[in-house]
Amino acid sequence: MADAVSALAVGWPETRADARAKAEGREPYAADLYPEGVLWAGAVRPGARLGIAHGRIQRIGTAAAEALPGVLKVLTAKDVPGTNRQGIVHKDMPVLADGKIRYVGDPVALVIATSREELEEAIRLVEVDIEPLPAVYDPDTALADGAPKVHEERAGNILAAAGIRVGGGADALAQCDAVVEGVFETPVQAHGFLETENGVACREADGSLTITASTQAPFRDRLEIGHALGVPFEHIRVIAPCLGGGFGGKDGATVQCLLALAALNTGGRPVKMQWSREENLLAGYRRHACRIEYRLGAMRDGRLHAVHCRLVYDTGAYAHLGGEVMALGMEHAGGPYRIPHVRIEGKCVYTNNPVAGAMRAFGVAQATFAFESMMDVLAAKLGADPLELRRQNALRPGDTNCAGVVLENSVGIGGCLELIAGHPHWTGRAAWKAAAPPGKRRGVGLASVFNAAGYGANVRDAAIAKVELTADGRILVYNAVADMGQGNASAFVQMAGHILAQDASRVEVRQPDTAAAYPSGSSSASRTTFTFGNALIAACTQLKARLINRAGLLLFVDDDTALELVPGKVVHAPSRRETALAQLASFMRPEERCCLGEFVAPLCRDTAGAGNGFFVGFPHVIFSYGAHLARVEADLATGAITAVDYVAATDGGRVINPVMFEQQVHGGVAQGLGYALMEDLATRQGQVLATDFASYPMPGALDLPDIVSLACESEERTGPFGMKGIGEVAMNGPLPAVANALADACGVRLWRAPLTPERVWQALDQAAGQARESAA
Amino acid sequence: MTRFHAAHSLTEALALLHEETDTRPMAGGTDILVRMRRSPPAVPLTLIGIEGVPELQGIREEPSWLSIGAATPFAAIAASPLIAAHAPLLQDAARAVGAPAIRNMATLGGNLCTASPAGDSLPPLYVLDAEVELASKAGRRRMAVSDFILGPGETQLEPGEILCRVLVPHAPPIARCQFEKVGRRRSLAIAVASFAGLLRVDGAGRIAGARFAFGSVGPAAVTVPEAEALLRGQLAVQPDPAAVERAVLAVCATVRPIDDLRASASYRRALAGNLLRRFLSPPSSPGLNAATGHASHG
Repeated sequence: MADAVSALAVGWPETRADARAKAEGREPYAADLYPEGVLWAGAVRPGARLGIAHGRIQRIGTAAAEALPGVLKVLTAKDVPGTNRQGIVHKDMPVLADGKIRYVGDPVALVIATSREELEEAIRLVEVDIEPLPAVYDPDTALADGAPKVHEERAGNILAAAGIRVGGGADALAQCDAVVEGVFETPVQAHGFLETENGVACREADGSLTITASTQAPFRDRLEIGHALGVPFEHIRVIAPCLGGGFGGKDGATVQCLLALAALNTGGRPVKMQWSREENLLAGYRRHACRIEYRLGAMRDGRLHAVHCRLVYDTGAYAHLGGEVMALGMEHAGGPYRIPHVRIEGKCVYTNNPVAGAMRAFGVAQATFAFESMMDVLAAKLGADPLELRRQNALRPGDTNCAGVVLENSVGIGGCLELIAGHPHWTGRAAWKAAAPPGKRRGVGLASVFNAAGYGANVRDAAIAKVELTADGRILVYNAVADMGQGNASAFVQMAGHILAQDASRVEVRQPDTAAAYPSGSSSASRTTFTFGNALIAACTQLKARLINRAGLLLFVDDDTALELVPGKVVHAPSRRETALAQLASFMRPEERCCLGEFVAPLCRDTAGAGNGFFVGFPHVIFSYGAHLARVEADLATGAITAVDYVAATDGGRVINPVMFEQQVHGGVAQGLGYALMEDLATRQGQVLATDFASYPMPGALDLPDIVSLACESEERTGPFGMKGIGEVAMNGPLPAVANALADACGVRLWRAPLTPERVWQALDQAAGQARESAA
Repeated sequence: MTRFHAAHSLTEALALLHEETDTRPMAGGTDILVRMRRSPPAVPLTLIGIEGVPELQGIREEPSWLSIGAATPFAAIAASPLIAAHAPLLQDAARAVGAPAIRNMATLGGNLCTASPAGDSLPPLYVLDAEVELASKAGRRRMAVSDFILGPGETQLEPGEILCRVLVPHAPPIARCQFEKVGRRRSLAIAVASFAGLLRVDGAGRIAGARFAFGSVGPAAVTVPEAEALLRGQLAVQPDPAAVERAVLAVCATVRPIDDLRASASYRRALAGNLLRRFLSPPSSPGLNAATGHASHG
């Protein structure tokens, strides 16, 4: 390779470190593991089979299953040695249900067999009698007086309830010249990752557990497994290879505790668990459905003055991160705007629906639909241009946001809106709309978006990076935050190569292994590259200084500034002497060749009393921003909306790698368009209606428009190389942008997502009916 | 456990169907394998693979009809110049099936034997008056596709019988035709509603024969002879709007859609009418010689 000698550089579109291995099918995923003699474990989830979402377990008959040849064990709650409770913040989810099931996917038994076929047969043979209990399938019913309780100890089925008040709160709406209001409903969305939940576990000769899993949080998994099963966490090793997608759905226990439980019962034989797509849609986490009541008020000149909104999230049967999802949605519910008076109320409610949890744009995608739809409604009421209204009110550094936080970090929403304002899709919109083919209507819609980065207050958001000069003179990065496809590991290679002046062939990354890397937070919350990257900079800077120092020793040079790291060596230009990194490595002891760097993300410690009722994760100080534009065509005969073009301007601080930046934006917009147009993991009486990707449609290549990604590079002083995380922010824009574009095209507004052809048709039909009536 | 035998000739396939118990013929397997995974059969099945049987492959022009081997995959139908010349409606429907990988496996015969109300090939075959040829050890028989399909998942195929050919009879020239499929996305979609329509005209440009069939709005593809009759004698490029509306009403009154996960019955009913209205009121009136259909999917 001609350019193999040029060092990696931050800011350049370097080839992803994982590109070749993934293209060639060599990158090892957890799902690829089939150790010698591996056994299979699988959960018995009788709720779907019996059509019961909430019920008391009367009997679990395991004899028939155990009698099958090839079945080793059938375990139930009584075989779980620890607390039998898992959960990230609230430990309310049993590994194996004891007493009752709270949703259709609750596992009541764990079967271990020698083959997958025998496992499936045995799972069918486990007899479970469940006495149905009265259930609650929506938040309104769950919140009603005397409603059946999902958890006995949770009065009113409330997982979390909180409020934000800034300035005069909702009372200030009375002072507004214009007030608009609306009620919005958002659907449940599946993560839809290709690699379903899976892993392999083994009990080692020394009694410790090794688990390789498709997981976003290997270090936290140890604590969760340890708590649930009564195993000291230091006896648990978790390995997290590259994930075939995560999007939040592998943040928290999926297979981990079940696999560990199985491994405690196999006499040292490895055991594998791999969920089917059906099991993934039944028992995997999902995005919260949400209902939002919204009132937004402004002065005649367009200044936003007050907002009042109520958000109710359906968290399903267990907490997962429901309270935190709600908190983040509330924190964003005022939009990226200056609003002096804010009242936001939130509730996160237990129901007997499947478990909602973390998903890309964690609670924010729901709120964005509401506030960005309201901005267009307000613009129409004021007779204002929707882009001008957004520009006028866009947050600037030093402003106080809707959560009462004074913005001391970078704020690029204004710059993003400028990029949209100058884009031909915006400036040329009138001509484009006028050229709509017969039977179709065209419209252009906008959305301003933002998304917090990091865990938020009261949670330590930290990472520890390790970098090593290997014995053969290469650089090895010990990644501690899983790469689920977003490319953080490649960004780490690029950063390490940049600092240590090494080319791609000389920098390697090792994916997370709790026995080799150091405790770091999860791969989530737009914080992965940010937090670990900062730690890695510290580690690499230290290693660089050490290599220069050792080279000086070898070359008898005392002036560090004359020594330069270049690919493969350190050179002393004045004397034209050099030492290869391999030679330096042989000059150093193993522990000298390793450097650790630590970082703790900035947190907000002063919220000026804006929030109450929050547990953890409120508020944040660092946000990525974006401005989106969608051009859509609506088919009047079918109601189908086609997203024809899309532009996303994103402020993610400085860009580490322009191609990976664009990939993240494209992926977010694509997933967002699925949320906008078709995805809805609906339930009836707690039963999941979709069982596969035929009944749960997600967009394919033909459904997606050309997506133009523009970077608005602010400088985030706390970020590694000035960057901010952009894993989530793009997900927020498509739903409101498309809804606004539909309203622009046809004059109808949809308040409930997804915007399916049928709903569009109904709205068009209704509008036509009203037009006929008023004409008559 | 499911067993599988690959047959190499029609004779062998028919023999295997008889020799074994609980046998099912399988071509591409894109429907039967999915169904077996969803609801495992009570008794283990023996699948007789017929996709490699030469007699069931290929597209040929014969004196009275275009003959399409039942195990011809949709990818071949989508690419065939013979289909383009003789049955463009079927070609458009073939291109709307699944996605490229599915079209490489799924076959026309399989689509008919699955007899889904949403089967993409059904509406075109109904309006083209296509027939099926069935073979068994006892001999062969022929019948109209519309007679072959009895309802969801039900056909006249007897145990021991194999659908071997689909025959599209030669017929007077078609002035204009259109296939349209509305699904929840543009590929890998099950039709919420589909439409196939064709017009034949006389020397004065008046409609001499109109044929329409609708998918996913009844237990099988739905035809509406009443609507077809209402349009006879109308100018094909500009039918009387009142006649169009009467035909649309007749369609809406005839279809029998259901509510399911994908859409409601009332939407499907309206959609069927809208698809016909769009066909009859072409936005940019195409020339009467434009024999190629236009597939579009929502």
